Amino acid sequence: MKSRHQKKPAPIAGKDEAIDYKNLELLAKCLSSQGQIVSRRRTGLNTQRQRELKQAIKRARHMALLPFVG
Amino acid sequence: MTYTYEGMFLVDNDLVRADWAAVKSLVTGLLEKHGGTVRSVRRWDERALAYPIKGRRRGTYMLAYADLPGESMEALKRDLEITDAVLRYLILRADEVPAEEQELAQVESSADFELPAVPDDDEGEYAPVQNVEATEDEESEEGEDASGEESKKKEEPVEAAAASEESN
Repeated sequence: MKSRHQKKPAPIAGKDEAIDYKNLELLAKCLSSQGQIVSRRRTGLNTQRQRELKQAIKRARHMALLPFVG
Repeated sequence: MTYTYEGMFLVDNDLVRADWAAVKSLVTGLLEKHGGTVRSVRRWDERALAYPIKGRRRGTYMLAYADLPGESMEALKRDLEITDAVLRYLILRADEVPAEEQELAQVESSADFELPAVPDDDEGEYAPVQNVEATEDEESEEGEDASGEESKKKEEPVEAAAASEESN
C-alpha cells in the first residue's frame, strides 16, 4: 500500500529567521542542483514565507550571488 | 519623502585593488549627489561571481545604508548605470539601519583598518557560501526524522549565519 500522506518537512527557516538575499547559507539550501527554487513541499514554508524566499533568491541572482542555472 | 535605503553595489576588483578609498568615495559621492545622507558603508565581501559580468569573474560587494529622497531614485539609478566601476547594484527600502551594520562600518572607517587582500587573478571557484569553511551537504534531509532532531538542526544555520556575518 502506498502511503497517501507524506509528512511535511519542518520549515527550512524558523519563524524569526529573516529570509534575506544576503543570507546565502539559507538560500543555497533552497536551490536544486540545477539552480531551480525548491518547492514549498521541500522547504516546508508557508505561502508568504515561500514568496519571501522567491524574492530573496531572485535578488541574490541579480547580484551574481546565486546562479540562474547550474 | 525621505526614506532609508539599503544599497548593495558590486564593484570592479581592478579598481578596488588600485584604490579602495576612491571606490568607496565614488559610491558615497553618488549617493550624496542625489541628496542622500550616508548612514553606513562597508565592504561586504569579495567573492567569485555566480556568472561572469562584463568579463569579470570576481568582484567586491559594498553594502551601504543611506537616507535618500524617493524622487531622486530614478536619477540615482541612471547615474549608477553609467558608472563603469559599478557592475551591479540593488537598492531596497529598509526600515532602519541595523545596529551591527553601523558598528561594522565604523570598524572599517577607523584608521587601523586594513583591506583584506584582493586576489590578483580573476579566477576562483564559485560556491554560494564563500570565505567561510564551506560545508556542502545538499539534499540531505527528506523530513522523515523525528521532529526533535530537526529542531536541533534548525538552530545551527542561525548560529552559522551570525558567525559569518561577523567574519565578513
